[in-house]
Amino acid sequence: MALLSMKNICKSFFGKRANNRVCFDLMPGEIHALLGENGAGKTTLMNILYGIYSRDSGVILWKGQEVSFTSPREAIACHIGMVHQHFMLVPTLTVSQNITLGLREKGYPFPDRKALNATITEVSEKYGLEIDVNAYISSLSVGEQQRVEIIKLLYRDAELLILDEPTAMLTPQETEYFFEVLRKLRADGRSVIIITHRIPEIMSITDRVTVLRDGCNVVTEKTSDITEQELSQYMIGRQLNSIQREPIVPDAGREGLLLEDVSLKEKNIKGLDSISLQIAPGEIVGVAGVDGNGQKELVEVILGIRKQSSGKIGLDGLDMSSMSVLERKKLGIGYISDDRQQDGLVMDMNLTDNMLLKTHTEQQFIKGGLINARLVWEDTKKVVEEYAIKTPDLNTPLRNLSGGNQQKLILAREMAGDPKAIVAHQPTRGLDIGATEFVQQQLLQRRSKGCCILLISADLEEILLLSDRIAVIYKGRFMGIFPNTKDLNLSHIGLMMAGRTSEVREESL
Amino acid sequence: MKQSGNVLSFLGIAILTLGISILLILMVGSNVNQAFFSFLSGIFGSFYSVSEVLVKAIPLILTGLGVAVGARSGFINIGAEGQLYMGAIAVTCMAFWLNDLPAILMIPLVILGGFVFGGVWSVIPGFLKARFGISEVITTLMFNYIAISIVGILVRTILKDPSSSLPMSAFLPDSATLPVFMSTTRLHAGLLVALISVVLVWILVWKTPIGYEMRAVGLNPRASKCSGISVYKNIVLSSLISGGLAGIAGVCEVSGLHHKLLEGISPGYGYIAIIVALLGKNHPLGVVISALGIAALQVGSLGMQRMAGVPTSISSIIMGVVVLLILARKSLFRRLLPDE
Repeated sequence: MALLSMKNICKSFFGKRANNRVCFDLMPGEIHALLGENGAGKTTLMNILYGIYSRDSGVILWKGQEVSFTSPREAIACHIGMVHQHFMLVPTLTVSQNITLGLREKGYPFPDRKALNATITEVSEKYGLEIDVNAYISSLSVGEQQRVEIIKLLYRDAELLILDEPTAMLTPQETEYFFEVLRKLRADGRSVIIITHRIPEIMSITDRVTVLRDGCNVVTEKTSDITEQELSQYMIGRQLNSIQREPIVPDAGREGLLLEDVSLKEKNIKGLDSISLQIAPGEIVGVAGVDGNGQKELVEVILGIRKQSSGKIGLDGLDMSSMSVLERKKLGIGYISDDRQQDGLVMDMNLTDNMLLKTHTEQQFIKGGLINARLVWEDTKKVVEEYAIKTPDLNTPLRNLSGGNQQKLILAREMAGDPKAIVAHQPTRGLDIGATEFVQQQLLQRRSKGCCILLISADLEEILLLSDRIAVIYKGRFMGIFPNTKDLNLSHIGLMMAGRTSEVREESL
Repeated sequence: MKQSGNVLSFLGIAILTLGISILLILMVGSNVNQAFFSFLSGIFGSFYSVSEVLVKAIPLILTGLGVAVGARSGFINIGAEGQLYMGAIAVTCMAFWLNDLPAILMIPLVILGGFVFGGVWSVIPGFLKARFGISEVITTLMFNYIAISIVGILVRTILKDPSSSLPMSAFLPDSATLPVFMSTTRLHAGLLVALISVVLVWILVWKTPIGYEMRAVGLNPRASKCSGISVYKNIVLSSLISGGLAGIAGVCEVSGLHHKLLEGISPGYGYIAIIVALLGKNHPLGVVISALGIAALQVGSLGMQRMAGVPTSISSIIMGVVVLLILARKSLFRRLLPDE
């Protein structure tokens, strides 16, 4: 008998169907993948199960009983636990305090911390989730924080663990370790649902897979009975254009984007350590690395949002080390931030006002000291048509657009006026495959026009797909820069991402 | 659905407010019909009563506009009261110091002076916020007490009218007083000053690149910084304008209404301004409407006290209730409004 079965679940947001008669079954002791593009309704479905959203219609059976949770608390009481993509931990508390947060353990409000720690350690050792219970969350790596989240659920005796994009932030090695933990959980009779869009991981760890597309069931199949190609077809529902890179056309007259020995030290922490790099016109250099190893610092130093402590930054022979953000942008640098909602857009402003974020300083849009609203409107309208941005009208606040359309507006704004260089930090994060492809095509188009492009991505596949050269960053340092050729050693790059350099150490692992 | 939900929720607020007012009136033992009648006739009953609404609305529009401009760039100005007092000091000092100037020069000069004094009073907290991240909510509030106390000192010392025993200044020279529109009312040219300010602020905030930057900084300082907009410059600038407008309110009160500086020149206009800006959604036009509404509420409640014996404090309670309901609207009427 199924442990969990969800039948004909429907949910609409603003009249748009996020889940349309979705059915989902889970057997006891299985690892089940929920696969789909962004916006396919995977997370919505799980949030309905977990009591975060209410469903419009449909039935949920948990161990044969009909249930309807109105909050995660109720779901946890029934031994269902979820780890969200963005962890829900308090950075200023210890691991142990985070795990018991909200529980009224024996002795509350003065619980016996030693006894609790012993229980936690027991749970964590059982599944190989090593952790220092007295460490503060803020001192832990992303992989360790994820362990804390899982221990938190196990401590509450979760029989079903729902994991939303659990491997998104992990190195290949951490991912392997994480899969080991999942296997132990399965052996212990617990069930796991993994929400993901990474097909290779599904093949290596799951028992069954359910594919969603546009809020509807596509297929549910045993993983062993299905191939990667089939899964990809089911997920996308159409053929993808394969991306072609032409060889670089060298432009002898231009120097390109140049970083010389750039370091950044803030509050005695080294954010960047002697970064040197030259990007030729018409070249894409990809920076691979686990999130939080200096990527954000690197792009912000190039843009002038942070000031480097030492080193030189130049564009086409011009030293811009001491220029302001505005001056650098006017020189011709486009910036696509990894956090479009915080860094790139004003979510409560409409499309025209968001275009103004760049153009309000340009003389052509100012008339007699006032903003030429008509011209801005026409400019925005043109952009909306050119980039096929889906929006009811130009007065819609960006908040109400989908992530892909928000990103398109940023692209349109930052690529206007033929920039000489583009700094793209996670330009496809959170986008569905269609929008991802669009963004990647745009970058390649700029490349063929002689733009220097710095591409930073946590998605190694994207780096491999687009880059001419690949740099690996770890703790603010470049571990190495390689040309992107067919015989590139992937495991080597993975190890560098984890901070290991020499072949000798690789063997001794 | 979305639109009608919004309308319904505001209707709900109106009904709740009305209900609470009736309860309050019954509690003090007055006749509800008579109370409402006297409230309305207190506002619309005569030419004079209507003009009184406008007189009260002048400082509310100016201070409310100031708070709204600050709020647009994320500068929460609790100090309009103190800035109003600074404006009042400015006009009084300048009027006695430059007493032989003709009105045509004097009036613009004192308005400018009030703007500068009020602006300085608010640009100091603005600078502290922009440079050191010190909360402007605390500093602007504290600056109120300083400004009010300075007025207290001045009207007992150098600005004291020697011919009177009360702590107040002498009457301003005629050249520094704003003309009154009609001799039977107290309505003065401050109304024009307020309305011109509204138009100028509207153009500045909505039509110019500077105003655009201020709005962008208020909505998302981080994105503004990443686009090369100076957050520092815009917070300082908007705090200057914010306090300056409140300073002009002080000028209008002194040279339009009282014609001298005295303690307690503002019955809390600078605080009500926060409510005016909130209800007016920080929009110049909204500020005018909410200032008129609150002024009418206050003037009407005076009529209610005169004729129906209902204490005017009720108007403050009702104002509080309305603000509370508006702030709580989204959660109170969750079922009517679409998911966010």
